[in-house]
Parts: sequence; C-alpha cells; structure tokens
Amino acid sequence: MSMPNNLTDRPREPKPAPAKEKRFSEQALAELEEIATHYPERKAACLPALWIAQREYNGYLTAAAIQEVADYLGLSYAEVEGVATFYTMYNLRPRGKHHLEVCTCLTCAVMGAYDVVHKLEHELGVGLGQTTSDGAFTLSEAECLNFCGAATVVQVGDRYFTNITSENVMGLIDDLRASESYTPAKLADAIVKVLIPNASETGGGSSDKEAIKGISGPML
Amino acid sequence: MGIVNLLFKNRLVPNIEEIEVYEAHGGYSGLRRAATMERQAVIDEIKLAGLRGRGGAGFPTWIKWNGLPKNYDAPHYVICNADEGEPGTYKDRELMLKMAHTLVEGVILAGYSTYSTKGYIYIRGEYVESAWQVRKAIDQAYKKGYLGKNILGVEGFNFDLYIHMGAGSYECGEESALMSSLMGERGNPRLKFPHAPLPTVQGIWKSPTLVNNVESYCAATAIMTIGGEEYAKLGTEKSKGTKIISVSGHIAKPANYEVELGTPLLELVREAGGVTGGALKAIIPGGSSVPIVPADRLDKINLDYESTGANGTMLGSGGFMVFNDRTDIVLLMKRTSEFYQHESCGKCTPCREGTRWLFKILDRITSGNGQPGDVDLLLDVCSQIDGRSYCGLGDAACWPIVGAIKAFRPEFEYWITHKRSPIGDQALPPSPERVNPLLTLTAA
Repeated sequence: MSMPNNLTDRPREPKPAPAKEKRFSEQALAELEEIATHYPERKAACLPALWIAQREYNGYLTAAAIQEVADYLGLSYAEVEGVATFYTMYNLRPRGKHHLEVCTCLTCAVMGAYDVVHKLEHELGVGLGQTTSDGAFTLSEAECLNFCGAATVVQVGDRYFTNITSENVMGLIDDLRASESYTPAKLADAIVKVLIPNASETGGGSSDKEAIKGISGPML
Repeated sequence: MGIVNLLFKNRLVPNIEEIEVYEAHGGYSGLRRAATMERQAVIDEIKLAGLRGRGGAGFPTWIKWNGLPKNYDAPHYVICNADEGEPGTYKDRELMLKMAHTLVEGVILAGYSTYSTKGYIYIRGEYVESAWQVRKAIDQAYKKGYLGKNILGVEGFNFDLYIHMGAGSYECGEESALMSSLMGERGNPRLKFPHAPLPTVQGIWKSPTLVNNVESYCAATAIMTIGGEEYAKLGTEKSKGTKIISVSGHIAKPANYEVELGTPLLELVREAGGVTGGALKAIIPGGSSVPIVPADRLDKINLDYESTGANGTMLGSGGFMVFNDRTDIVLLMKRTSEFYQHESCGKCTPCREGTRWLFKILDRITSGNGQPGDVDLLLDVCSQIDGRSYCGLGDAACWPIVGAIKAFRPEFEYWITHKRSPIGDQALPPSPERVNPLLTLTAA
C-alpha cells in the first residue's frame, strides 16, 4: 500500500508466555459476572470481557490479558485471540496516552482530513500507526466514524472531536496534553460501564454530559 | 413533500432525553395503546403504515415482525442494529443521542408484537456518546415499568433490554455478522435464506430473532403514536412515511434532515443551503455503497426507493454526500475501495481477494502507474465479486466503482493516460503527490 497505516497492519509484539497472575479486580470480576447474565451462553460475554481486560491491562491486550479472559469464560486462548484480532478497537500493541484516530473516509477525505493527518505527522514527528517518543500520542487513520456532517472527525478515547481542520488540530493537541479523560483505558472503562444496568445513575465516561450539546438542528 | 419532522418532532425540546419530558410530549403513548391491542393488531398497523426497513435494504418491516412464532414456547429475541457504519450516514447517532426514548419504546413495541423476552441494542464501539443516552433511556424505562415484568399490566409481557457494544467492524452492521458478534465470535456472516433459515426462524442461539435498524424502531414508535393510517398519508405509493437523510460534504448546512419520501433530491440540496466551494459535480445519495450520480442526472430523482432505483442508484441508508467540482472521482473511489478492503471480514474469497485487488488497481492508477485496460479490469473484477459471497459487503464494494466508471469513465482514462488528476493540483481528496511534500519535512 502506498500510505502506511495501522488499519490492516496488525503486527504484535512477540508473544510472551501468558502470565500466571490475574489482573481483574474484584469490581471487574463482578462486572463480568453481571454482564454474563445478559446472555444465555457465557461465550457471548467475550466482547465485553475483552473490554474489561483492555481496561484492567491499561489500554492494551497482552497475551496474559487474552488468557485471563479465556480462563473466565471457559474458552481457548486461540478462540479469544481470534475475537480480539478481528475488531479494530482492541489494541494489540501499546498505545500512547492519547490515541488520535483521524477519519479519512469519503466525506472527511474531501473536507481536509488528509491535511489534518499530515499536519499531525509533521508537528508530532510520527507517521501513521506510530507513537510519539514521549508516549503522549499515537496517530492512526480511522475508517468512517459516521459523523460526516461534522467532518473532519477525530476520535480520542470515548469522544468525537468535530470540525477538525489542519488549522485547529494543534489546539486540540494542546487541550489533550492537559487532559486525563481520553485515554484508551478510560475508553474501555466507559464502554464497560455503559453495559451495566443503572449505570446512568452514577454517570459515565467523559462524553455522557458533553456530547448532546450542540447536536440539535443543522450543524453550521 | 420536503422536510417533515416526525421522528424528529421533539428533537429540540429541552431535556427530551429525560423520560418525564418525553412522556409529557406523547412519549410511550404508542406503547400504552399497543399494550391494549392484540399483538397481531400491532403488526397489522405496521403493515398498514407501509414501513420499510430504514437500515438500507428497504424490506417491508411488518413481514419480519410477522415472521416469528406467535407464542412464548421458546425464547425469542429482538435485536436493534445500531452498528451504523455506512460511510455518509449519521442519522442513528443523532437518533440515539437525542431520541433514545423513541428507540427504546420502538424496541419494546417489537418485543411485545413478536412474543420476545429479551432485546439487545448492538451499538458500534465508537458510539460511546450515543450509548450513554441509550443507557439512560433503558434505566429510566425500567424505573417507570416499561421494561421488566408484566409491562403496563399485561400479564406475561416480560421484556428485558440490554446494550451490547461492538469493538470496531463495519461488517458487524450486516445482520448475520452482527448476530455472530453478539454471540461472542468474530463478525463473520452466515448463509442467507434459502440456503439457511431466516433469522426470524433461527437467529441468535438458534432462536427466532428480529433484527431491525434504529430508525425502523423509531418509525414504529411514531406509527403507534400517530396511527398507521396517518403515517401512510406521507410518502409515495410504495415508499411510505419519512426517511432521515444525513447530508454531508460540500454543502452549506450539513445535518440530518427528515424528509417525506418522494421529496425531489434537489429540493433537499436547496434546504441544506446548496453546494459550497464550487459547482455541483455529483452526489452519492444513500451511503458509499450506492452508485454516484452526476449532476446532470440529479433533477430526475426523488428521494424514495423506486425513483432512486429507476435512476441507477439507491436510497440505501440515506448517507447523502455532496461533491463539488474539485472532487476527483478516481481518488474518491480509491479511498472507497480502501474502506471496503479494510472492512472485508476475510471469510469469502471473492470479497477478501477482490476488494484487495480493486484497491491495488485504483492505488496504482492514482500513483501514476495505471495500465491501459485497467478500467476494464476493474469492471471484470467487480463482476466476479458481485453476488458471490455470503454477504453483501463484496457487492457493496463493487457498485460504487461500476457506477463511477459508468458516469465518469473519462476521468479514469485521463489518470491512466496522463498519470495525474484531471482536476489538477486542487483535487479533493488530495492526490498523493500533493501531500508528499509534507512527508519529506523532518520533524523538530
């Protein structure tokens, strides 16, 4: 392919032997058991369990994380790894503190998305799929994030940042440097919580309060 | 014809995401009425309304609802397909963000009609913001007794509703792949009827399953609120009701517009403020999978299933992308083919190999290495993918390319002959040599 990206390159670090220690906290185990009751078969909790694992393992699924999920669900390592490798949001290698996913699909592509990507590559000093040396940012292209009316869209953590241009994107970067809310682990946590009944009482991730502002009517 | 805010009727009401406000504006009146009716009568009202699936296929909704066994002998499931992935489409995102109660009410209506005991709203993993509003709507519905046991006093009407989050896969918006994913597997599709049972006979965990799109359930709520007869007054003879069209691209006011089916396409362009940045060149009216329509054919098209179909495109999901004359169709198709190649699940050879091949050809054409005969090669590869896999992703990868060649063949030939864009330096999306100068700058 002409442009490097991490959408189809899924190299993983050499796989260490699965660790013996388990990292799921008591709360994580309780969440897993609650979620498992939603389905008639325990295997169906595989995707939610991988989200829990991604949170417990600080935003990235190691071999140990996959093995731990396999143990809790009574599945083989191979089967769980098969699921983990299929979906793009499960991180198979470490990400920086902020994973910048810039949509470059149809509408965003004609609305300056590639200019955003190249601005970020230049300013952050990384290519697509790479992480800055200080570990602050990982830069990726994303396939359609489906908020085309607000092109260009950049997803970081559980938020969509909208109407991003090559002019304003570094402002977003400055804001993110000061933030703790949009890390991969925080994203995984938000997703796990949204599955739990009555979670809306205690509030959710960073996006639950801010997202619905400004969505009404034509977006100008 | 024109804009009709039916599903969006209360979109601007402050705090409509709170159930008390929703109820004060007619919310749950549809379900209350349905609970006094026979389950079959609810399905008959959906039939009278003439609702067709709003996910993209336009299949008559009542036929699906009618297809599950009419008893509680075995578990039945209702699935809401909220894995909105079709490029250009963002209506479900807004429906869930602002009108989550409408969605939940519609799913419960389906649960009642189909003798189902559990429902799952499968939301794509990226839509966390929307998912929180659905979480709130479900939690509030339980508290008010719209979910749980003996709903609205109907003995034996028990329904539980769960959220299931995806993790990044366009293919999981396909009905059978979604079911695989819900059951904890890779998102591979299954064979279709008649080679395999319909989901309404054997879906998830071999049980009768209803799968419909977010907008379809919201429309069902609207139908039970205003009545099937009222709903059927909108639209055309075969395309009843309203459709939410997601407008984006080179347009002044990109947004979700709910239009009466049959509205002339150019009227929507006017409502959305008209084309920006140049003259109108082409529109993709229904998501990336439908053929692109050049400007000179747009005045013949009305936004309904029949008119779009008769004019070489499709209403699809309603992902309405507008392109001005800076747009290079070949570069657009290259990015489109890249999308399908990434998203192919890999199960079926024609799709897995074919989408990769299509991208390679378009990549080499737009890198200045196109070969004579490449356009016919594209068409040939497309003809070998279309209709030959377990699901429609492969077909969806071909239709835009075939459509683009049909409408803009000279642009493809120009690229091959001259090894650059006919638009020149200002082409959108940018051609590789325009972005390369930035890549050569060394970082500080």
